[in-house]
Amino acid sequence: MDSRERTLHFNKIAVEYSKYYKGKVRVYPNVPITHLSDFSFWYTPGVAEVSMQINRHPEDSFEMTGRWNTIGIVTDGTRVLGLGNVGPEAATPVMEGKAMLFNLLGGINAIPLPIRVSSAQEFVNVTKALEPAFGGFNLEDIESPKCFFVLRDLQKALSIPAWHDDQLGTACIILAGMINALRIAGKKIPDAKISLIGSGAANIAAAHLMIEAGIKPENIIMVDSHGIMEPERSDLDKIMLSNPWKYELALKTNGERKKGNIAESMDGADIVVSAAKSEPGLIKPEWIKKMNSDPIIFALANPLPEIWPEDAKKAGAKVVATGRSDFPNQINNSLVFPGIFRGVLDARSKGVNFNIMVKAAYEIANYVKDPTEDNIVPTMDDWELYPRVASSVARATVDEGLARKTDSKEGFFKTASDIISENRENFSKLMKFNIVKKLPEVE
Amino acid sequence: MINDEIIVRRAEKEDIEQFMDLVMRMKRLNGEFDSLFKANEDNLGNIKNYYLSTIEHRDRFVTLVAICKKKICGLVKAEVKDRVSYIPDKEARINDLYIMPEFRRKDVGKKMLNKLYEIAREMNIRVISAEFPTLNLIALNFYQKIGYREIGSVYGVDIENIEKEKSE
Repeated sequence: MDSRERTLHFNKIAVEYSKYYKGKVRVYPNVPITHLSDFSFWYTPGVAEVSMQINRHPEDSFEMTGRWNTIGIVTDGTRVLGLGNVGPEAATPVMEGKAMLFNLLGGINAIPLPIRVSSAQEFVNVTKALEPAFGGFNLEDIESPKCFFVLRDLQKALSIPAWHDDQLGTACIILAGMINALRIAGKKIPDAKISLIGSGAANIAAAHLMIEAGIKPENIIMVDSHGIMEPERSDLDKIMLSNPWKYELALKTNGERKKGNIAESMDGADIVVSAAKSEPGLIKPEWIKKMNSDPIIFALANPLPEIWPEDAKKAGAKVVATGRSDFPNQINNSLVFPGIFRGVLDARSKGVNFNIMVKAAYEIANYVKDPTEDNIVPTMDDWELYPRVASSVARATVDEGLARKTDSKEGFFKTASDIISENRENFSKLMKFNIVKKLPEVE
Repeated sequence: MINDEIIVRRAEKEDIEQFMDLVMRMKRLNGEFDSLFKANEDNLGNIKNYYLSTIEHRDRFVTLVAICKKKICGLVKAEVKDRVSYIPDKEARINDLYIMPEFRRKDVGKKMLNKLYEIAREMNIRVISAEFPTLNLIALNFYQKIGYREIGSVYGVDIENIEKEKSE
């Protein structure tokens, strides 16, 4: 089967399976019920006392209900995968898939919440109103620049973490990969020169995170569809009004005041991180030859990278990463968000910030014992990664003064490991006893 | 530091090329706020001549530039208006003010206005007013912060699109 046939095959069985299972996640009671009389303590009258206690101490909702382990996956369906604005109903299967990953990798009860809203403000209001039921929110598939306004306002308004995975998850795994790639090239973060191609949500967040991690802003060059960004570019006022985060970067990056496009941005760079158009050939081999010694190329567009790894290698790239699982070094959010959320939930954190993300990125990088050119990031079946990231994140929230519950890093690791492995064992049992039914035959 | 020094002075004819870059940036920015302020990119010659005349006619215009790092980083243009029915009988109306993005939040605007006030006093003008697109909240905040208040409103419509604009 070639890749087109493979895609068609997956499309077909995805539709058949979706009709068969009618939903990828479900809710079961978490408590024993043997007689109807048990409802006297699970429900009325006994439950009233639990309500009263939470009424007196709302924080007890994290200890006496499922709130401590429940997050909402919120989307307005305006930028779903590569499909664009398909609306909230059509976003649901994707959010269910994400909920599945949250559960399997992080032991988290994640509820898909596609909402019908028409503005950033309404998105914020609706999500804020849902706060009492949740320990955190994962925002997903929201168009840019709306996603920046929504995330900023929610992080301000909520006393639980808000995370936009397309920005923060991607930024975090890019940084983790970069840390190891620089180790392999024998280069230091404060000296690294970086070209960021594409100025969408992921690269803008990545640039801000890199600066937090010690990359000098003047050593970063950002390129968007109009070329290299610099403080004198004539469309800067327009950017100021539509995307203040991008504007801020245009003013403080590019210390050399380079002008031009992708080729010029790569001239003398140590690392290229491209999250741009899915178009092999967007990055040309001859441009890699003009980079510094041992160049590092992250060509992250999906499904087709901006340059094929073998072409980048032939042109002299030392390390090549893509967004795909069929090449080495897959830069994949799924290595980040389960551990991040396990960590903030275990610490009952009030928020998450760039400092915490930098620590998570180092934890992911350090997980790879001896990084090599073809092994700079873990893979999704590195099961111990998730509790390691969780413990690092949980401990960081304590250090940042955001945690409601404190423990040592080791203590948080044990908590996260126990939750994740128990959840996995339970799920295996559901499959073993055919409670989760076996896959049906598809013609 | 000498490098960060900001000099404000009257604009000169020799400034016009750099000056025009800032003028057109400002007009394009106005266009972002309201379609009735769409910059006329095909009329650069006349726009240039107009600004040259504001530089030349110092009795009717105060046209200033700020210099940062040897380049023009800001401009202000105020027009002297007669108001025969009111006291005092003259005012200076700021109708252009622009600062290059990287020099914002560095008091360039304030310094240019201080120079404008200095020149206005010499011309016996004590009322200064400023006009800008209603939706330009950045300008609104700036003027309010330095003590200006709303003294009037200008409403407009494109009569070829009057129904459409009404529903907006």
